[in-house]
Amino acid sequence: MSEITLDRPNLDENPLRAGVASNRISDPCSIVFFGASGDLMKRMLLPAMYNLRLGDIMPANFGIVGFSRSEFSPEEFRDEMKKSVDEFSRSGPARDPLWADFANKLSYIAGSFDDVAAYKALKEQLEKNDEELQTGGNRLFYLSTPPSVFGKIVEMLAQAGLGPKDNPKGWTRIIIEKPFGTDLQSARSLQATVGKAFDEKQIYRIDHYLGKEPVQDIMALRFANVIFEPLWNRRYVDSIQITASETVGVELRGGYYDNAGALRDMIQNHVINLLALVAMEPPVSPNADNIRDEKFKVLSALRPIDPDRVMYDAARGQYAAGLIDGKSVQGYRDEPDVAPNSNTETYAAVKFYIDNWRWAEVPFYLRSGKRLARKYSEIAVRFKGIPHRLFGEAGDSIDNNVLVMKIQPEEGVSLRFSAKVPGPKMHIRAVSMDFNYGTGFGVVSAPAYERLIGDAMRGDATLFTRWDAVEAAWSAVTPILDRWTQLKDDSFPNYAAGGQGPISSDAMLEDDSREWRTI
Amino acid sequence: MNAQHIPADLDSIRTELARLKRDATTVSATTINFIVFIDDAQRREWVMERATMIGDKHPSRMIVLDTTGVEDGATVETFAGDGHSTIKSERITLSCRGMSAEELRAIAHALTIPDLPTILWWTAEETAGNPRFDKLIEIAADVVVDSSGSTRDDGAILGLSAFFERTRRRLALRDLAWMRLSPWHDMVAQFFDDAALRDELFCIRSLKIVSGSSAEALYLAGWLGSRLDWKACGHDEFCDRDGTPIKFSLVRDGGMRRVQTVAITTTNSTYVAEVTSDPGVVRLTVEGKKERPERLAPLQAIDNASLIERAILERQTDKIFETALRMVGAILA
Repeated sequence: MSEITLDRPNLDENPLRAGVASNRISDPCSIVFFGASGDLMKRMLLPAMYNLRLGDIMPANFGIVGFSRSEFSPEEFRDEMKKSVDEFSRSGPARDPLWADFANKLSYIAGSFDDVAAYKALKEQLEKNDEELQTGGNRLFYLSTPPSVFGKIVEMLAQAGLGPKDNPKGWTRIIIEKPFGTDLQSARSLQATVGKAFDEKQIYRIDHYLGKEPVQDIMALRFANVIFEPLWNRRYVDSIQITASETVGVELRGGYYDNAGALRDMIQNHVINLLALVAMEPPVSPNADNIRDEKFKVLSALRPIDPDRVMYDAARGQYAAGLIDGKSVQGYRDEPDVAPNSNTETYAAVKFYIDNWRWAEVPFYLRSGKRLARKYSEIAVRFKGIPHRLFGEAGDSIDNNVLVMKIQPEEGVSLRFSAKVPGPKMHIRAVSMDFNYGTGFGVVSAPAYERLIGDAMRGDATLFTRWDAVEAAWSAVTPILDRWTQLKDDSFPNYAAGGQGPISSDAMLEDDSREWRTI
Repeated sequence: MNAQHIPADLDSIRTELARLKRDATTVSATTINFIVFIDDAQRREWVMERATMIGDKHPSRMIVLDTTGVEDGATVETFAGDGHSTIKSERITLSCRGMSAEELRAIAHALTIPDLPTILWWTAEETAGNPRFDKLIEIAADVVVDSSGSTRDDGAILGLSAFFERTRRRLALRDLAWMRLSPWHDMVAQFFDDAALRDELFCIRSLKIVSGSSAEALYLAGWLGSRLDWKACGHDEFCDRDGTPIKFSLVRDGGMRRVQTVAITTTNSTYVAEVTSDPGVVRLTVEGKKERPERLAPLQAIDNASLIERAILERQTDKIFETALRMVGAILA
């Protein structure tokens, strides 16, 4: 055995920590959930917190405070939260003694989001947590409320002395759910409000898509392999398609969705974020700001869509009744809380160009819709055709290579390439080489919320969206939003549930002599 | 799955492998060569189950060297992915009781896929000094053993320690008995993350570990001692940096391969990490002059397949382990 020299232990550092793996978040803190009686809290957020605790990722000292309008006593709140863990936690029902210990750290404040007294009570609770649970003055606020009250909550926090400037003892951070604004103007207005109380480094704009393992793998695929990057440019890439299709309708979100639509709900955030990851330049380091700098650069290079070209470079649709998995489903206008003559799009497709050296004149086709044939999300990079045909018998087609990054429900990568069919003739056939996370590594990825909340508690903003990128994304879709608001689409509903989307979307690619991948 | 008994020679094995692959339309990415050595018929099924779990997670060329059979021979199997058109893993099982150590090395090496890392999971009790072990480690970059759970934990660790002292080869050695302790390292370290308690590390007077088998307790003591610059002063005593004796007691109690309690006594306080009635939870207490509120910490149950998987993923030498192993070697010498 070779001689090993280790540093002599000293008192500045814990000598037992060297080489000891721990995912535990080091800073103690209190986490406040606004909208704590809501569906997201029950289904996702509280189970995520409990699983972080079970995985020994929560800091040694922490407190969780629920805040919402529902009148719960602290005991009733704990009971509600236990029910949500029992029903929705990926690790099964809550079990003692860890649940009892976890529940002791839960507290609840009932009040409306503009109730001064409720914020005073919140402040007292946080101070109590600092004293009794040793949460160290560190605070993380999570806004899982309707977007319309984001600004008010931030104002009230500042007014109550709960902003970062009033907390010299520890750090204060805020997680804000999407959508951040409903258009460019409202986003800027919200940013102005939030920016008064919080610095950019303290704001975590969450897009749970970015917490998904395959989304993070996009960077690994691009920057941990040498074979793809030389081809990743206009010389070899013909076009890129990004798809986020769903089979579900609006379910219980009709009221929200009818004021939003697919462009705001999916394209402006999830899908454009995928575009940024696939198109950005290599960051100089994996730190949050270096990555976010590159994402911003590429989004700011999106060519603004000429309002007069919206009808050619974008397509919209709304689902009619149809069949999903063999079962009849109703049309969008018959969904609860949706206007019977609604002009809201449930499908949006957009063609973007990125005006930079790497991507000049390569089209990026983005689409997202509800009630489509299949639920899946993917990025498909279609490479250019071969320059000269050497092989293949008459009738053989030599398909372009396609690299597909699959995000959900399958997670993985596939590559389509041409191969010779065995036999005396030189028949060429396209084959697909698949890598699937599920079978490749046999692991179930942790839910995105667990990853993202943990990151915010650690202060790692890599997977959160910075304001400049949000603003650039809104700027990119604004001409489309404006035109679609001005001009009603009389063809709505224009695609049947369970189909491939509206014909106008197909036409958009046919004009470029291309076609969508089949959903 | 489709196992057909064939002769244990390279041509037969390669022919059979090619036949099975023809039926699959695509082949998935293969990430490792995984050699599993078995010499105990009673543990064979247990080992194969765990090896299969690894193959399920990490697409691999698995080469099982089984010396428990009566006649030499081989089987070749492929395991399909979700779509059943994709081969996820291949398993070649060689019954090789009659093969010499050199023959075993040669055939195993010929069956590995070039360019992929080769990991040897050695499941026999005897490690260093066994001719087959000494030969097989020549073709592996990573070796996984388990010193724990046998009747001779002490001897197994002592053998490993001696082997490590004399080998000149850079080898990533992983002992599952050591890897099993990672939650316990974290538990004990947690006490002293509190900076106000850190100087307590340098006035420890006794260490008591209750464990179902010796290997884990020895490694835990070796780890603590090596981190704090202790010296082995006997089978049940360390000396700290100032030469002050520290009593070490090892109590065997509870399930095999399971640590139950770690108790550290300093001149001021006693630090105890103890498994509660729920085996997934540990109670951490500090009593005495430096008393702290009691805390509960989750204790992740880590199965052997997960430990081997971790060894596969880490794939590098572990200096903390090596220094702890050296310390244990000194205790046992």
